[in-house]
Amino acid sequence: MKKLLDGTHRLLRWLMAATVAILIVPVTLQIISRYTALIPSWIWTEELSRFLFIWMIMLGAVIGVREGSHFVVDVLPDLPPRLDAFLQIVTDLFVLVFALVFVWWGIAFVRFGWDQTSELAELPMAFIFMAWPVAGVIWVLFLGEAFVAGFRVLAGKTDR
Amino acid sequence: MMSAALAPGAAAIVLFGTFLVLFVLRVPVAFALGLACLPSLIIESRLSPLMLFNETFKAYNSFILLAVPFYLLTANLMNVGGVTDRLVRLSRSMVGHFPGALAQINVLLSVFFAGISGSSTADAASQSKIFIDAQVREGYGLSFSIAITAVSAVLAVIIPPSILMIVWGGVISTSIGAMYLAGFLPGLLIAAAQMATVHVYAKIYHYPVYPRATLKEFFYSAWISVPALLTAFIIVGGVLLGWFTPTESACVAVLYTIALSVFVYREMKLKNLYDSFVETGRLSSVALFCVGTASAFGWLLAYYQIPRALLDNVSTWGMGITAAGFFIALVFLVVGCFLDAIPAIIIFGTILQPLAQSVGMHPIHFAIIGIVSLAFGLVTPPYGLCLMISCAVAKVPVRFALKDTMIMLVPMLLMLAAIIIWPDIPLILPRLIAPELLK
Repeated sequence: MKKLLDGTHRLLRWLMAATVAILIVPVTLQIISRYTALIPSWIWTEELSRFLFIWMIMLGAVIGVREGSHFVVDVLPDLPPRLDAFLQIVTDLFVLVFALVFVWWGIAFVRFGWDQTSELAELPMAFIFMAWPVAGVIWVLFLGEAFVAGFRVLAGKTDR
Repeated sequence: MMSAALAPGAAAIVLFGTFLVLFVLRVPVAFALGLACLPSLIIESRLSPLMLFNETFKAYNSFILLAVPFYLLTANLMNVGGVTDRLVRLSRSMVGHFPGALAQINVLLSVFFAGISGSSTADAASQSKIFIDAQVREGYGLSFSIAITAVSAVLAVIIPPSILMIVWGGVISTSIGAMYLAGFLPGLLIAAAQMATVHVYAKIYHYPVYPRATLKEFFYSAWISVPALLTAFIIVGGVLLGWFTPTESACVAVLYTIALSVFVYREMKLKNLYDSFVETGRLSSVALFCVGTASAFGWLLAYYQIPRALLDNVSTWGMGITAAGFFIALVFLVVGCFLDAIPAIIIFGTILQPLAQSVGMHPIHFAIIGIVSLAFGLVTPPYGLCLMISCAVAKVPVRFALKDTMIMLVPMLLMLAAIIIWPDIPLILPRLIAPELLK
């Protein structure tokens, strides 16, 4: 199971890096086409870059849950390890609620976009809206892993 | 008038109350904002949780915000491509002989960095790695080193280019070119205040000094930095002259930095490039994800007309421009303690804009007050991203560097007061260079 999650994590990270890299292309084309006659001024460049951008954000937000890179604020004092693990589980439960919202209404969201195509590039909107439920499902997986780790600390099996 | 199940007051309590409880429980801020929207979305018969998707989608589907990953990428590429090293060398030859040499270099490098990248978090992340360890080894206090690195990083969003100005321009429709010009002087003043602070610290704690660089060394380091410093002119000039949009200018900065690293400085390796992409994606996506949920939160505030309820009170106080300026700065400073700057602009910038307008404050003056205050919010706890990043690099809790950060903020706040009292400080440059943008 851990291997599977690690693999997913690596794949998503690679995809995210790829979206960052590819993002440069349409914006560059947009600038080049304005100043030279080398390429026609395609109108889809702006839209394509926005859609890549959306996927980049969602991919990063997904792996952020496993890497703990979403910003949290520490106003509470340092807690003993078991209390800390308990609080972490409570926190993750809230994130889980959010993840489930993303899955449940995300599917409705994709259905809603099923017959729509984008204005300029005529891409099916479902490809974009899909990012939300996909993020939700992978969050649930990553959170499951965190719960197992948390309960082990609570049970006193490890002390992190 | 639409009928909402909750009155503005009750809705405000539900929204802010849920957010604050989750926030204290250490739920990540992005999720806390999103979860706080849920009760209203479920209670109100006219709304549904689908709104959450619509609003986040609309927020991300924005060409303007693309500048965020581009500026982070520029910063990351500067570090791996050798641009930063050359700017450090130039800074050293300029201020290395001042008391507190390395800390002065730290501030000056932030000024140069700010002229190329528009991201304070990127500045904090990269300079923490460069300076904190090095300063401690030379005998500077750890908490001082963290604090000066974090507070100097805020310059990146005040001195153009600036992600915050791009977002501000997108949300409140203000000329980004004019804001760029207006940011210069305030940024330099705040940098000067920081260097003075370092000077005082250095005198009290006898921090080390480097031998004065020879004139030859100065000219040489300036010469090799010219291509890097040109970036600032290309970006700011390009926007002012209308060569490209602000977002495109951020992309140009990326391309130019890649070209510099590959063809001029020749230090870029493929592995570095991949790491820069990952680092950029990681930091920009968590920051932007939060922008999405904050937009949904802000949308609900507007739905319940909470801003109007709040401002009805304030507008009866009969404030002048200066009083309103202090009020606006205070609101942004307080909000900046709890929220990242971009969501804060989206939620509160739009709330305060009518107030600024009603007292006759110049939109650019309003923008600079807001952006400087929010930039200070990057180092104020509990949610001060730059301070959090610097402390994370040094592996100490945030409260460790709190005292020195607060001390350094005092002269910076005086500069903010000066900017509020004398609107000419931000307005003089745009007036001289591009008066047509001020209309």
